[in-house]
Amino acid sequence: MVKTADKIEEEIRAIFSGDTPWVTIVWDDPVNLQTYVVYVFMELFGYSKARATELMLQVHNDGKAIVSTGSREEMEHDVARLHEYGLWATLQRGDQL
Amino acid sequence: MTATEGFKRHGDHSYIAQFADSEKEVLLNLCEQIIELLAERTDHGHDDPLAAMVGITSHDSPPEDEVLHRLLPNAYADAVDASEFRRYTESTLRQKKQAHAISMRIHLKSSDDGTVDLDHESANAWLGAINDIRLALGVRLKVENSSREELELLAPDDPLRGVYAVYTWLGWLQETLLSALIDDADEDEEAQLGNS
Repeated sequence: MVKTADKIEEEIRAIFSGDTPWVTIVWDDPVNLQTYVVYVFMELFGYSKARATELMLQVHNDGKAIVSTGSREEMEHDVARLHEYGLWATLQRGDQL
Repeated sequence: MTATEGFKRHGDHSYIAQFADSEKEVLLNLCEQIIELLAERTDHGHDDPLAAMVGITSHDSPPEDEVLHRLLPNAYADAVDASEFRRYTESTLRQKKQAHAISMRIHLKSSDDGTVDLDHESANAWLGAINDIRLALGVRLKVENSSREELELLAPDDPLRGVYAVYTWLGWLQETLLSALIDDADEDEEAQLGNS
């Protein structure tokens, strides 16, 4: 829980300090099992099962979901880890969505 | 020997499955194929040994092979950013994927009776490796453009029929390992909530 609060604070700080946050997007893929996607979100981001399931459903229903926000370097790290586990992920500037 | 019942959880952070000889052979064969496929992409004749040493690759465009492209996708929609990122990260990604498949191969090879016992870390390696194999088979099966019904109705003499059988079996196997892992994570989460 503490982790999430810290993260939100960090994001708010980034927004007010003028540093544009970057986002990691996961795209829908017909091969990856839903349970697998949920597990990878829990494992890589420390999300609760409920939060991870919500994001997985968003990917499934909308074709994509923002799974993390932060600096460009942090998002590059997240995308690399998602690629390691075979999820289809990209990063981009948060203001160019 | 009877067909595997998939992974089951044994106590905390221990996941066990027993495979028949034929199943073990299939899994080993698929591991080898992924390891070889990724090795094909290894840099040949790098001009700059120092760059190679720190993991910078000579590859700045995505693989032409469809399967490799799916395993090593672009990180940016923008082509320039994507190729820059690839130069600095692709070889690490390839090594990590190979490491997953190698870990799976070692477990299988070192098991005489077909039993594998995974801890949390090796379970993650197996999940990653099984997923890469499914992604590779999925490209060959054109899962993207075919419905499940079309794939299930493949003619008995269609070579893809066997591929599809392996693909669905791997999905089932992955699912058994996931449910064992998520059981564990649920208990950890509940324990944490109980403590706070």
